[in-house]
Amino acid sequence: MPRINSPAELEELRKGILSKRDPNKPCITLCSGTACHASGSAEVAASIEQELKKQKLSDKVDFRMTGCHGFCERGPIVVIHPEGICYLQIKPEDVPEIISQTVKGKKVVERLLYTDPTTNKKIIHESEIPFYKNQERLVFGSNGKIDPKSIDDYLALGGYSALAKALSQMTPEQVLEEVKKSNLRGRGGGGFPAGRKWEECRNAPGEIKYVIVNADEGDPGAYMDRSLLEGNPHSVLEGLIIGAYAIGSHEGYIYVRQEYPLAVGNVDVAIKQAEEYGLLGKNIFGSGFDFTVKVHRGAGAFVSGESSALMTALEGKVGEPRPKYIHTVIKGVWDRPSNLNNVETWATVPLIINKGADWFLGIGTEGSKGTKIFSLVGKVNNTGLVEVPMGMTLREIIFNIGGGIRDGKKFKAVQTGGPSGGVIPEKYIDLPIDFDELTKAGSMMGSGGMIVMDEDTCMVDTARYFLNFLADESCGKCVPCREGIKQMLDILTDITEGRGEKGDIELLEEVAAMVKDFSLCALGATAPNPVLSTLRYFRDEYMAHIEQKRCPAYVCKELISYYIDPEKCQACMICLRQCPVGAISGGKNQIHVIDQTKCTKCNTCFEVCPPRFSAVRRLSGEPVPPPVKDRVLVRKKG
Amino acid sequence: MTTEEISRVDQIIDKYEGEEGILIQLLLDIQQELNWIPKEVAERISQRLNIPQSQIYRVASFYTAMSLTPRGRHLVSVCMGTACHIRGSPRLLDRITDVLKIQPGETSPDRRFTLNTVNCLGCCALGPVMVVDGKYHGKLAPAEAEEVLKNYD
Amino acid sequence: MVNLTIDGKAITAEEGTYILQVAQANNIDIPTLCYHPALEPFGACRLCTVEITSRGRKRLVTSCNYPVEEGLEVSTNSEAVIKGRRMILELLLARCPNVPLIQELAKNYGIKKPRFKLEDDNCILCGLCARVCEERMGVSAISFSGRGLDRKIDTPFHIHSEICQGCGACAFVCPTGAIKLEDITDKEPRPILSEFNAGLSPRSAIYVPFPQAVPKVPVIDREACIHFLTGNCRICENFCQAGAINYDQEDEIIEADVDAIILASGFDLYDPSALEEYGYGKIKNVITAMQYERMISASGPTGGQLQRPSDGKTPKKLAFIQCVGSRDTHYKLYCSSVCCMHATKEAILANEHYPDLKAFIFYTDMRAVGKRFQEYVARAEQEYNVTYIRSRPSKITENPDNGNPIIWYEETTARTRTSMEVDMVVLCQAMIPSGSIKDISDMLHLSLNDYQFVNIPDRLFQPVDTEIPGIFACGFCQAPQDIPDSVVQASAAAARAAEFLSKED
Repeated sequence: MPRINSPAELEELRKGILSKRDPNKPCITLCSGTACHASGSAEVAASIEQELKKQKLSDKVDFRMTGCHGFCERGPIVVIHPEGICYLQIKPEDVPEIISQTVKGKKVVERLLYTDPTTNKKIIHESEIPFYKNQERLVFGSNGKIDPKSIDDYLALGGYSALAKALSQMTPEQVLEEVKKSNLRGRGGGGFPAGRKWEECRNAPGEIKYVIVNADEGDPGAYMDRSLLEGNPHSVLEGLIIGAYAIGSHEGYIYVRQEYPLAVGNVDVAIKQAEEYGLLGKNIFGSGFDFTVKVHRGAGAFVSGESSALMTALEGKVGEPRPKYIHTVIKGVWDRPSNLNNVETWATVPLIINKGADWFLGIGTEGSKGTKIFSLVGKVNNTGLVEVPMGMTLREIIFNIGGGIRDGKKFKAVQTGGPSGGVIPEKYIDLPIDFDELTKAGSMMGSGGMIVMDEDTCMVDTARYFLNFLADESCGKCVPCREGIKQMLDILTDITEGRGEKGDIELLEEVAAMVKDFSLCALGATAPNPVLSTLRYFRDEYMAHIEQKRCPAYVCKELISYYIDPEKCQACMICLRQCPVGAISGGKNQIHVIDQTKCTKCNTCFEVCPPRFSAVRRLSGEPVPPPVKDRVLVRKKG
Repeated sequence: MTTEEISRVDQIIDKYEGEEGILIQLLLDIQQELNWIPKEVAERISQRLNIPQSQIYRVASFYTAMSLTPRGRHLVSVCMGTACHIRGSPRLLDRITDVLKIQPGETSPDRRFTLNTVNCLGCCALGPVMVVDGKYHGKLAPAEAEEVLKNYD
Repeated sequence: MVNLTIDGKAITAEEGTYILQVAQANNIDIPTLCYHPALEPFGACRLCTVEITSRGRKRLVTSCNYPVEEGLEVSTNSEAVIKGRRMILELLLARCPNVPLIQELAKNYGIKKPRFKLEDDNCILCGLCARVCEERMGVSAISFSGRGLDRKIDTPFHIHSEICQGCGACAFVCPTGAIKLEDITDKEPRPILSEFNAGLSPRSAIYVPFPQAVPKVPVIDREACIHFLTGNCRICENFCQAGAINYDQEDEIIEADVDAIILASGFDLYDPSALEEYGYGKIKNVITAMQYERMISASGPTGGQLQRPSDGKTPKKLAFIQCVGSRDTHYKLYCSSVCCMHATKEAILANEHYPDLKAFIFYTDMRAVGKRFQEYVARAEQEYNVTYIRSRPSKITENPDNGNPIIWYEETTARTRTSMEVDMVVLCQAMIPSGSIKDISDMLHLSLNDYQFVNIPDRLFQPVDTEIPGIFACGFCQAPQDIPDSVVQASAAAARAAEFLSKED
């Protein structure tokens, strides 16, 4: 591969790549992000290659395996170019039809299209599907167009032009000013102005400085960084090199959690390719600026994603947080100035350089500029990764993009900010997405996890879930976090298991207050948030658990019982056969009864009872009625 | 440890010799190679790279990706991310622990399975998810788990 | 230098120091658990948290690692601070309800019983042990392992450590007594035995030899000091506020031109292990007279209590054996001259301390030749329950059931061979000229007599003059004598030296 020695050569190369690409040549793109992979996209890919070979179309039709498209609910996703026809939930057996009908025959296969749930109309183009239409996919949108293992694909879209501009037309100070002006705030959760952080690092004493990409993404339910790193690693690299130039750093690290092997692999490939092109290494673009980057894998510790802990892990030590009274931008890795930013933050930088800070300032709210990628998951119809401008309301995201609550249930709350965040109930569903607005409501933006909850979600159980997670992940160094979270978890477990007592909530709040203010790092300091937030908005649920030993959402196992309504049971034997512990007795004409001493509350009978009977009921806070004496079934006619 | 294993370990150590801050990366490679971190390997690393054994042990015991006891032939991971949680992963996990008769973090006595939990695999649309040897089983009902696991010896 | 206030008090401090250090230097008390002046601040217990106002913002920070700044306002006991400390202690007490230190700290903040479920741990995970082992000893035999609630202090792979150097620093810094050396290593540490206390108690590598030492400053035993042995530690340097510790000090060789020399090299004690028949070193309850002196001394290792070595019990029957090594053809032919009297004194002291204690002195001859010495001996017999037995015992054995020494002897006045079981035996060991006498005499070209004492040519009229004019010898180095006699000879030698010097002119 030729080394690119100047911005002019970059444009030459780009022109060359584009000249070899016929925009009208048919191209099949298949989403190969991890979620689609789990849904079987590898088999679909094999099928496509096979079919193309079979129909002797291998050189007439391009096949590109791309990164995550975002609409994870409906994967594997295939998009046929140049038309932009979008097919969803593709199986290997659909492939021959797609190739014959659409690629060759230019005809649409109706059954594979998206159907609008309200109008019942079929939608052909990806961009018109409501899920995508309402998004503004500035950072994430390229994922669907490039093969992450091909730097040429990235170049074809204009990649590395921002780097060329920065290195050849701007001084490091000018780059820094531009990013400062744009008011880009960190996308990892802290929301700290990136430009200010860069400036502090640049001004810190010391020759050797580091720039770091934080791709640890530990929040459960968040996978935006993964998909960005898997699907478009060069966008992150480009942003990193620009940042290094502005700060005066020549060495970078990309810290990726080892649970993301595909991301690690794709980043490795991207780095190698960038090195071959001379976009990494010495004298980039002939500017005299040197920069190298190393990949460092995480090893399964959420706390190591905290910036000071991450830096300690980079030193080969255990990734425990350090006191941050002396900022890590002044004393970080090996006590040298180190600037750490999130994946999404770095990926936004090339856009700001290319289009300018003023453009960026035109998107979003007063305090939060630009767009943000969220993982919209949970009880929502359209699960996936969405990118929206700051300021869009939660309602718009959940209902217009997310398609509303699945299975016709009612919205209860949306959880943002992961284990450091909180829940936002219905009364605040019109809150705009904004760093400060979400914090005011008792939650936080966090890294972008957005978990939609419905009436079947128990808020006390949710709080306990998060504390359990944090107790597992706490490094255990400081007393407030280690002992405080343990005791809070203990109290919450007691409450969810029917042992709640008067005074529990007050004690919970007292411990929470100390943990918040006295913990060593942000994991501990934000650990009480899920508890405090659910208490703020759903105190009545806590009271029901404690005073009536009742779980209104029918989730907490020790507080619920399963009961077959003798009036409704039709003795179909389905639940009896499916019960994994044989707790149901009955027969073909005998009303079924659940033996409460054997029942493990696994919910199977509730799920399998045919909806037209709906004979299985969940009870909570009330005793189970004794079995009826006469259990011979009298079937209703008709 | 066999001489063959020792030589493989030495090759991995060779890769990192002379570099700083590589302990975690080194141990991840060893874990991948041997499926656990034996005491003898820690001794070898300590000898060759002049890192105190206590530091190696500290790192290996801190991170869940590393195991100080041999892992089973098949790794069963259940996602306990928030989205999967509210889609019922606790019930799925309960069923799996019943079937395998081990708790998360443990390996079955016959070394057939190691069970662990992970926080978010990034396929929330498929929740709840169980992964066995890298193969994803999504939208898994508790009752189906046993069937899936039967196929692994 | 920066100006700050702590609890309203205006203080100036060096930039870069931490709030806690500044507070401690100004006698302001902030509680800590994981802080140690010789270790990097750890920030784990959070007990030292204070409330600061910095640049208009109020924050809670740990004082052990927050650097002072110009204009900082610190409150060590605001309401928020006290509330938080109380909760921290309540949580710690729930974890370690039986640790006295935590109980006390918690009590100071009004907590007797935590409102949480109790565990029974005694490690508070302050990390002091692991940190001192790594940072100061450079050994890293122990470290933290696991994380979260599984976090604990352990040796690698939970097996006894080969590299542990047995210094015991971990157990020494542990605030709760949770860590014990036997948990870490099979090695048994050999205590450094205090020479002054005749091996009855240990001392540290840096020590003041004895309370009356001149000069009264600590000295470092280079053969036991970890710094000299391994290059590490140097913790004492951190604690010395006067900055007086200098590991690079070397012996100075001072050359001086003198006109007269007084030799006063004193005595050493003869090691009675050579007399195997008496079992010293094998039978626990056979001790030397010097050990007895340290034991009975109120400022000694047992605080003046007679505690016999095997089980700490107070002896009721005490035996003294005279002439151990003295007046003996196998060892020293001469009489050490002071032992009969000091044994009598020791027996009297024993009975004064313990009125029902009986002492037996096994003597060859009672040398009670000084002024009123014979009366003293008689009083011992009559008033202090001391029995004098004329005998030189042939051997001492041990009763295996209770560790009592059994003395086998011939009572020469009665001509009977018999044995006596006692609780403890004191051997009045021989005294010999100090070990340096050989080197000194060679250096000064002085001759020694058959018993290795400095030769005095004219004992009668020139009792302190040696063979060489201008060199005088006084005290034990020339002949066995007691304190009064030694003092007299010292004055004599000084007078003779002065006389000699004036003659020179």
